[in-house]
Amino acid sequence: MVFEKICGIIAEKINCDASTLSEDTKFADLGIDSLDVTELVMNIEDEFGIELEVDSSLQSVGDLVKLVESKLD
Amino acid sequence: MIVSPICEMLGIKYPIFQGGMAWIADGKLAAAVSNGGGLGIISAMNADADYLKGQIDIARSLTDKPFGVNIMLMSPYADEVAEIVAREKVPVVTTGAGIPAKYMPRWAEAGVKVIPVVASVAMAKKMERCGAVAVIAEGMESGGHIGELTTMAIVPQVRDAVSIPVIAAGGIADGRGVAASLMLGACGVQLGTRFLVAEECSVHQNYKEMVLKAGDISTAVTGLRFGGNTCRSIKNAFTRNFQKEEYSPDATAESVALLGVGALRKAAVEGDKQDGCFLAGQIAGLVSKEQPAAEIIEEIFKEAEALLKGAASWVK
Repeated sequence: MVFEKICGIIAEKINCDASTLSEDTKFADLGIDSLDVTELVMNIEDEFGIELEVDSSLQSVGDLVKLVESKLD
Repeated sequence: MIVSPICEMLGIKYPIFQGGMAWIADGKLAAAVSNGGGLGIISAMNADADYLKGQIDIARSLTDKPFGVNIMLMSPYADEVAEIVAREKVPVVTTGAGIPAKYMPRWAEAGVKVIPVVASVAMAKKMERCGAVAVIAEGMESGGHIGELTTMAIVPQVRDAVSIPVIAAGGIADGRGVAASLMLGACGVQLGTRFLVAEECSVHQNYKEMVLKAGDISTAVTGLRFGGNTCRSIKNAFTRNFQKEEYSPDATAESVALLGVGALRKAAVEGDKQDGCFLAGQIAGLVSKEQPAAEIIEEIFKEAEALLKGAASWVK
C-alpha cells in the first residue's frame, strides 16, 4: 500500500507510468536530484501525515518506502 | 531608516546578513559586520569544534552585538560544531547543503535561532515545519554551493509558500539589490561577495584582487554534470581544468569529487590565482572597492532607502 502510494506520488511528479517503478529504481536514474527528493518528501509528509528526515541516504524508491513504513509502525 | 521584522527578531539594526563563506568568514569579519549593524556570520566550514570555539571567542572579544555561525551540513565535523553552537548559545545558526532537522531540538533548547539556506520551495516548507525562524532563499547567482533557481524566481515563490520571514541571497551587492529584494517579498538580504572585500576580511589579498577585478561574466559553474557539489567561482585555470575533466568521457562522480579538494584553501589562504577555487557571485562585477564593513552596510542602506522613497514615481 505504502509502495503503491509512493509510486503514485513519484509518477505524478515526474510524469511517468507508475507501473515502471520498482523498489530498486534509483532516483538518479529517474533524473531526481536532492531538491526533487525534498519535494517528494514534503508531498509524502502531507499524504501520510508524518514527518520524515531528508538525508543523502535516500537513493531509491525502496529507501523511501522503508523510511515511511518505519514511521507508520 | 529601513526596518523589517527580522531586525526585531534578531536584535540587529539593518536587515542584512554577511554570508558564511568557508575559509573567509572568520570571527573578525563577523564581528565587524555585527558592529556595523548587520548580522556577521562565522563559517564553521570543514573545521572542527576547537576551530569554531576559537572564532566565536574572537568575535565575542570584538563585539557585544548578535552574530551567527554557518554550518555546512556535509562537513565531517557537523555534529561537534552543531553542539558547540548550542553550548555557546550563539544567537543565530545558518545552515547550508542539507536539512539540519536532527540538530533542531538541541538548538531550540539552547535558544539558538535557526535560519537555513534553501534552494527550493519544498526545502523552505520542510525547514518551517522543523522549526526554522526564517529562511534564506538563495538564487544561483551567488558564489559557492548553488541550486538551480535564480533569486528573482525563488524569493517570491518561497515568500508565498511559508509564513516565516524570507531573506534574499544571490546577486545582491548594493542598495538596488536590497530594494528589489524587499519588493520580491524578502524582509532582509544576505551578501557574501561584497563583504569578502571588507577591510576587516582576512582572506588573501589576491582573492580580493580577483573579486575587485571581476566583471559580469567572470564566474563559471563547476560540478554541474554529476550534481551534489555545484559551485560558482571565478574563471581561472582551476575552473577550466575542472570543466575539462568533468566533461571528459572517463569522468565519474567520484573522480570529479576529488577535483576540488584543497582548492578553497589554495585560494583563500595561499592566494594561488591559478589553481585556487575563488568562490564569488555573479555580482562580483559590481564590487569595486575595499571598504570597512560598517561603511558598506551604511552605503547600501542609504541607497536602498533613496530608491524605495522614489519608487512611487513609477505609479501615475
